[in-house]
Amino acid sequence: MIKPMNRPTLLLRDVVKTYLVGTETVRALDGVSLDIARNEYVAIMGPSGSGKSTLMNVIGCLDVPTSGTYELEGERVAAMSQAQLAEIRNRRIGFVFQTFNLLARADILHNVELPLIYGGVARQERRHRAEQALVRVGLADRMKHKPNELSGGQRQRVAIARALVFEPSIILADEPTGNLDTKTGDEIMAMLDDLHDGGQTIILVTHEEYIAEHAQRTIRLRDGVIESDTGAYAGAASPASETASVGAGEVPGVAAMAAGATPA
Amino acid sequence: MKWRIPLDLRESVAIAIGAIRANKARGTLTTLGIIIGIVAVVLTMTAANGLRNKFRESFSAVGSDVLYVSRMPWVVMNDFFTFRNRPNIDLDEAQRLEVRLRGRAIVNPSMDTGRDVKFSSETMEGVRIIGTTEKQAVISSALPDNGRHLMAFDVNSRRNVCVIGSDVKDGLFGSVNPINKKMKIGRTTFRVIGVMEKQGGSFMGGPNFDRQIYIPITSFVKAFGGRHRREDVNIAVKAPSQEAMSNLEYEVIGEMRQIRGLRPTEPDNFSINKLDTLVGTFNNMMGVVLLVGLIVTSISLFVGAVGVMNIMFVSVTERTREIGVRKAIGATQRSILAQFLCESSAICLMGGLIGIVLATILTAVVNAAVMPASVSWPIVFVAVAVSIGVGIAAGVAPAYRGAKLDPIESLRYE
Repeated sequence: MIKPMNRPTLLLRDVVKTYLVGTETVRALDGVSLDIARNEYVAIMGPSGSGKSTLMNVIGCLDVPTSGTYELEGERVAAMSQAQLAEIRNRRIGFVFQTFNLLARADILHNVELPLIYGGVARQERRHRAEQALVRVGLADRMKHKPNELSGGQRQRVAIARALVFEPSIILADEPTGNLDTKTGDEIMAMLDDLHDGGQTIILVTHEEYIAEHAQRTIRLRDGVIESDTGAYAGAASPASETASVGAGEVPGVAAMAAGATPA
Repeated sequence: MKWRIPLDLRESVAIAIGAIRANKARGTLTTLGIIIGIVAVVLTMTAANGLRNKFRESFSAVGSDVLYVSRMPWVVMNDFFTFRNRPNIDLDEAQRLEVRLRGRAIVNPSMDTGRDVKFSSETMEGVRIIGTTEKQAVISSALPDNGRHLMAFDVNSRRNVCVIGSDVKDGLFGSVNPINKKMKIGRTTFRVIGVMEKQGGSFMGGPNFDRQIYIPITSFVKAFGGRHRREDVNIAVKAPSQEAMSNLEYEVIGEMRQIRGLRPTEPDNFSINKLDTLVGTFNNMMGVVLLVGLIVTSISLFVGAVGVMNIMFVSVTERTREIGVRKAIGATQRSILAQFLCESSAICLMGGLIGIVLATILTAVVNAAVMPASVSWPIVFVAVAVSIGVGIAAGVAPAYRGAKLDPIESLRYE
């Protein structure tokens, strides 16, 4: 038996994502298998066109794979409806974007409350939790400010608070320092490091080596396949061996899926 | 997965208000069509209400349990020539009808004419002079609010006394108490014995019950022509109850045909008039008012809705990225849909409220100048409902587009 601690939070098997560009089919992801355990700190790297954005979209449930299996905390995502995907994004995933993506008209407290609103959390509790999240990122004194009254670093902290507020399974940070100067970027990374130390699972998409160094594990993509994986998680390096090591009994049907979905 | 309320309504409304506030000028301009539409809605309904009230007020004197036997129908459309050769109804026929209906209904003959009336130096032209009996008080619900009504002895002894309408009192006597004053009706002198209560004036050029004078029918014949066969009597027949009206109508027709000796093949050469006839005509008129109102309303609301739809498409496009962000953090398609529907409804509601205010002002003007009219709560309610409805209708297509946006594409949108 594998201890619950080691059970993968996120599990991808032979994930293929194709796009139709004109008449040509582009395989953005060409059979990606990957396990990420709870409290892992993973950097996904790769040149543009390597499929890392697509991988991030799939992991973030903004997109569903063309084929293959994706399970998030044991729930199979591929077959989910739009509404179910929305709920997964709402509760299980915290997005941090390169461009912050805060709502300009709303004050930051409201911005942080937003996932809770969509999650149907009652007003009182929602306010309380949003305030807690803002306290956590050190913006307790700015709650009534609009995003444009804050610096870039502060805005990204608001975005982190918004990502955190529903206590998601994963924080998915897409180039979180891309729009920040080095010093502010370092502050943000320090904050992510702290979150990781506090038990949070973090997936970081970046093309900066020094940013990736914050992570414990680096996955490099090229042409839609995993080129290398420093693989902190046991057995994740090769799909075949890892299927065995995870244990088919633990995640029923995965072995069969993996065996059945042979890449073309 | 359990079903959740996509987004609480208050939140959608808050977003909508925020969005509108951010684009005040645009929102206001967009609502112009809605404003005009709602003004049209409110004015149409207010006009219809006003007409209905005015109608009721003006014809309250014509009891709904009374039918009138007259030479002509009250409402003559384009068949005037079929009626003009009918014989007048004379007092003799009225008397015979009264005898025949005794115990079944109250019968009151009356005759009328137009005459100039005079008191000291004041003259009123073309006042309706009605010769009637003491039974007028039973036929009509209107009562004198000063002095007394005609009584049997006035009629029997052909006294030259009169009961004047409130407009006549105002026009001739002003602040003078008219009771027991002598006035001229035509060339004959009459003594005022009573002043009728106000009955609401004329309805759309119809009879004005306030601008008339009751005199005994006997005195009427004496003064204004009781020449044989030239008199034209209207016979009012009051049914004992509302329910007896329809039977009474057939009875009266039957009795009149007998009195006149009509053969079965001959058509009636008299008409039965009743309030229902007027109600029918009134409803036709209302129909026209409502139709015109409906057309104006629909056109302006349609134009307004297209404007709102257009602005909503702009709004959705402008906020593509926002939609992407909202979706990334958990907004469902339904909540995005609700958000934009709320926004378009709020725009239309704003237009609607402005429209209601404008219409209320216009109504106040109409009330002061043309006819009694007021905007009632049900009308406001309808106007609000219509504007929200138009908002939803106008918002569906843009909101649907927003809801269906691909989150990945939207997040990439600059």
